[in-house]
Amino acid sequence: MMSESSIQNTPQENIPDQDVICDIQNVCTEFGENIVHHNLNLKVRRGDITALVGRSGCGKTTLLRHIIGLTKPKSGNVLLFGENMHIMERVAQRRLMNRFGVLFQQGALFSALSVFDNVAFPLRELKQFDESVIYQLVMHKLALVELEPRDAGLLPAEISGGMVKRVGLARALALEPELLVLDEPTAGLDPDRSHNFIDLVKQLKKSLGLTVLFVTHDMDTLASLAERVVVLEDKHIIADCPLRELAGIDHPFIINFFQSIRSRLERL
Amino acid sequence: MAAASFRVAQDDQGQQHVQLFGQWSLRVPINDFAKLKKSLQPFFVDTFTKWDLLEVDQLDAAGASTLLSGWGNKLNGNITLRPEHAELFNTLISLTKPPDKKSERDWLSPLNSLGKGVLHLMHHFSEFIRLLVSLLVEIAYLFRRPQDFPWREFSANVYKSGVNALPVTALLGFMIGVVMGYLMSRQLHAFGADVYIVNILGLSIIRELGPVLMAVLIAGRSGSAMTAQIGVMRVTDEIDALTTMGISRTLRIVLPKVLGLTFVAPLLVLWTSGWTLAGGAFAANLELGISFRFFFDYLPLVVQPVNLTLSLIKGLMFGFVVALVACHFGLRIKPNTESLSNSTTSSVVTAISGVILVNAWFAILTRGIGV
Repeated sequence: MMSESSIQNTPQENIPDQDVICDIQNVCTEFGENIVHHNLNLKVRRGDITALVGRSGCGKTTLLRHIIGLTKPKSGNVLLFGENMHIMERVAQRRLMNRFGVLFQQGALFSALSVFDNVAFPLRELKQFDESVIYQLVMHKLALVELEPRDAGLLPAEISGGMVKRVGLARALALEPELLVLDEPTAGLDPDRSHNFIDLVKQLKKSLGLTVLFVTHDMDTLASLAERVVVLEDKHIIADCPLRELAGIDHPFIINFFQSIRSRLERL
Repeated sequence: MAAASFRVAQDDQGQQHVQLFGQWSLRVPINDFAKLKKSLQPFFVDTFTKWDLLEVDQLDAAGASTLLSGWGNKLNGNITLRPEHAELFNTLISLTKPPDKKSERDWLSPLNSLGKGVLHLMHHFSEFIRLLVSLLVEIAYLFRRPQDFPWREFSANVYKSGVNALPVTALLGFMIGVVMGYLMSRQLHAFGADVYIVNILGLSIIRELGPVLMAVLIAGRSGSAMTAQIGVMRVTDEIDALTTMGISRTLRIVLPKVLGLTFVAPLLVLWTSGWTLAGGAFAANLELGISFRFFFDYLPLVVQPVNLTLSLIKGLMFGFVVALVACHFGLRIKPNTESLSNSTTSSVVTAISGVILVNAWFAILTRGIGV
């Protein structure tokens, strides 16, 4: 009763195919008895900064892991750049994976490698560049995320949480991806740093022409970064619209949720 | 999407014009910059080649840097660029790798590294002594407040390193017993000294092989697990969390492991020696026709019971050494994967070496007893 109407009202207007970067069709996921997604549909459009929100444990991160190919849904299709990653042959799959970059919540830097080698790693794996070119590319990426050249020699254990995120971002951007996936991009950063980090992502999105998809619990991050917001609740997507249009949706979770970001939106 | 490509033309003065097209970017998955660079190599070498990049749709750092490396990391008058690309090239030129400093050959470096090694060893040693002392202090504290003894952790360790090790020690002990019994039976039979199989197997297994075999197995099995566990607890700040609750890490982490393994090791020695003897008796039965009943009746007559005491003492010492070494290396782990793997390896190697060293020293001390 509470949500039937709004589920049907979910705006699923037709988007031209070339504008859809990720298409999730009738995805069902369950862990044992626990059903996480049931016939879930979602289209992420090219060039947007899309936020995926919902309460803790509602399956946001699981959906994100489906999208980047780490896990496979029980049924349904996840098309990324129009292709299903799980039925591709290996070389093509690897090429596809080079078209997106992921920043994990804890950074997921290789702890045995220095900052420089972490960013150089995906470039070296391509086996197309010699070391002098790799040096330039790594330094270029480090400059993009506003890190100093002298930081390049440090190990992940020796740098602060904010720097770990920046290095993770530089590594995610190393192969010039079209899609940038961020899991909790500002978790563990102080307000000042998270503000800077959001500005950095926005600026990179503009200069590199990225599509950004991120998951967050932080209302400030959501209000200042997201252009579109996708709300995952009760195994379905209950809203997929620009942030301000949430005001017009009548659903208890969204009403509650929008109240907490309204004041932040007014401040912007 | 248009892949990166180029076209070459020659003007009337014989100069070559290279015109680049398409997207010189990693975004186009079919671009292979190594191949492009190779096919452009002849034109990079010729300094009079004219370069025209006006038709390039998209240029990213990877494409620009590949071209730059061909041009010797500088732009010159022969290169025609779009203004928006020039900026990228100039940024990249400013990021050129500084030349590696040619390090002069240092004749003192072997001495240097020797000194460093010695200092490193001394550091290990002093840390080890410190751990030992703090363990003794905690034991002294427990005499005053016995209610603080970590019984749960102690019994968990006894179970994990003792009970869970029973199948593997039994299996390996039995198989080694069979092999040794078989080989010795063949030799002794040649001299008609069949019955001495009991003496040889009994003495060597009870006094030496049982304890050492047990120690090697638990060093590989429980010692490595202890090191890795403490290491991960350090990485995830669990040890700091314990300390802030006012709980001594030595009391809660090191002491139950060391005492647990020291307590259970002599029992494991008995168990391992028993199975190894059973394996030897089995082989002797098959090869020489010595009955089990005779083997085990005759055994206490030819092997003095004091040997059993010695082997139990050895078990105590080996368990203590293995657990203490494991804890020592675990507490030194730094929060990265490399350090975790190095420390776990060092822990096992050092524990086994330590056990063999202690065994040799003990053998010299007790050379007059029981043989």
